[in-house]
Amino acid sequence: MAENSPSHPIEMRDAFGQMLVQLGKEYTHMLVLDADLHTSSKAGYFKAAFPDRFLQVGIAEQNLFGISAGLALEGFIPFPCTFASFATRRALDQVAISICYPGLNVKIPGSYVGLPTSRAGTSHNCIEDIAVIRSLPNMRLADPGDNADLRAIMHTAIETDGPVYFRVTRYTFPDLFGADHRFEWGKGEILRSGNDVTLFGTGMMTSLCVNAAILLEKEGIDAEVVHLASIKPIDQELIATSAGKTGCAVSAENASIIGGFGSAVTEVLAETYPVPLARIGVRDRFVTSGSIGDLFRIHGMLPEDIARAAHTVMAQKTGRTA
Amino acid sequence: MSALTPEKKRELEEAAYQIRRLSIEMITYAKWGHPGGSLSMADILAVLYFQEMNTDPKNPKWEGRDRLILSKAHSSPALYAALTLKGFYPRNDIYTYCEPGGLEGHTDMTRTAGIESSGGPLGMGLSVAVGCAYGLRLKENSRSRVFCLLGDGELNEGNIWEAAMAAAHYHLDNLIAVVDYNKVMAKGFVWDLMSIEPLVEKWAAFGWDVLDVDGHDLEALAAIFYRARWIQPRGKPIVVIGHTVKGRGIEMAEFNYKWHTHAPEPEIADAMLRELSHRYSRPELGYSKLGDPREKESFYGGE
Repeated sequence: MAENSPSHPIEMRDAFGQMLVQLGKEYTHMLVLDADLHTSSKAGYFKAAFPDRFLQVGIAEQNLFGISAGLALEGFIPFPCTFASFATRRALDQVAISICYPGLNVKIPGSYVGLPTSRAGTSHNCIEDIAVIRSLPNMRLADPGDNADLRAIMHTAIETDGPVYFRVTRYTFPDLFGADHRFEWGKGEILRSGNDVTLFGTGMMTSLCVNAAILLEKEGIDAEVVHLASIKPIDQELIATSAGKTGCAVSAENASIIGGFGSAVTEVLAETYPVPLARIGVRDRFVTSGSIGDLFRIHGMLPEDIARAAHTVMAQKTGRTA
Repeated sequence: MSALTPEKKRELEEAAYQIRRLSIEMITYAKWGHPGGSLSMADILAVLYFQEMNTDPKNPKWEGRDRLILSKAHSSPALYAALTLKGFYPRNDIYTYCEPGGLEGHTDMTRTAGIESSGGPLGMGLSVAVGCAYGLRLKENSRSRVFCLLGDGELNEGNIWEAAMAAAHYHLDNLIAVVDYNKVMAKGFVWDLMSIEPLVEKWAAFGWDVLDVDGHDLEALAAIFYRARWIQPRGKPIVVIGHTVKGRGIEMAEFNYKWHTHAPEPEIADAMLRELSHRYSRPELGYSKLGDPREKESFYGGE
């Protein structure tokens, strides 16, 4: 099994599986449930370490979340593990009514999110989970920017009483944070300070925002990059303050822009400090099979696309003040 | 098990009578609810709460209690009635049914003592009960039982059979499902809308021990639950199929899908409750809020 090191970063799903084990050592009432995907989701690390606290429910996602609710009622902390598509589409009623409504202590990892899944295609490339989960009362939602962020989110999640959904990407991407990184609900982080435009990123898209900022710097544009792993609750103050400073913004998410992270940022800005804003993400389309590079190109989610959007909103800002 | 003593039988009969009365009271006062399924499971609840189940109204979360997951959560009035009769909360609370902050239209475990899960969408309760039963096993609590009260119509839901498969796979013989087999769904007969027969064979094929009983016979129910708890367990979950009559106790509602979701007008409720008192050979007693007309809804001109 791969170990994390700067020279050989591991896929986020491996960091997830290893963190399950780490938490399992500390929290003896933590359970992991699987619906026949543990070698893909990497929940298998936990199965190997704690076979007595690992439940196999078979290919039955509605049952996966219903059983998790029952286990939470008995005082356990279940992590029902499946792909985000099945957690938020197939089993939404169970997640909403059996878990969220009574505020049960269930931690839901949504695996295989957005574009970089495998070549499984439309049915498995989950793009709507942010929108769906964000609309559920009592639920908290986070999308980690790197492996350290994921570990911090999982640690905070298990310390948080109530339901949590967090995204786990099946991919390796650059480290943004150090090992001592901490995650707090409703707190964003400025990764790079700037004055001309704010790039709001969540999940893996924050890395691409950093790359976009480097591209913009070469053109003499001073971009601020804000990472918002906590999508619900979201850091309203930081969003308004940063947009207040730069006067325009781009949001970027590895998901559909309809109802998702960009919508959340837009809602905050519309109600606090309206500025020109462009959203990067999947634009009302399903995401088909394809290589990761092809998919990011097709859906206009590369750093170049983010930089182009920055130019657009900066022009709108200038046009408005002129 | 020896037969019920005459006193115990009278107590269970009184509980069943009051569950029926209070169900009609709260549904009428709230102007919303499901009388048919509340009336059909009144005897099952009477035996569970006043004979079979260990509960402590003063300590509703007592670890050693038996749990009841109401999967057919639309029949909550009967459960609310059983809980107030048992002393979980004051009797007058039933008139908060369907009011903000009161007894929820379906079930909300965070608001009402004795309610073990939140529900409403059909087909979901058995999975939750499987989780509870599995959790009890992990905690090595071998005394408590998990009862899951299911409707017959919700057996159309796929989730039920996912849970049925899992309960047998995990050998959860501390789980006792009870089917309120009243033969009537929201819009007609089960056999007409979507057949669930052969029901005994279905559960057996899924790996369950199946017990069949007249769901209105208090003595038979008490005997079957005793058997389910003490005699039957052998590594298989147990289902008690209780054959019942939808709307049992009030003639116009019996076997009548029109009383699945329908709140009676106060005058109708008054007649229903008088009929019910006759059936139970009790002093004639009508609807207690007959002289207490509630304000009509005024939002956008009312309902």
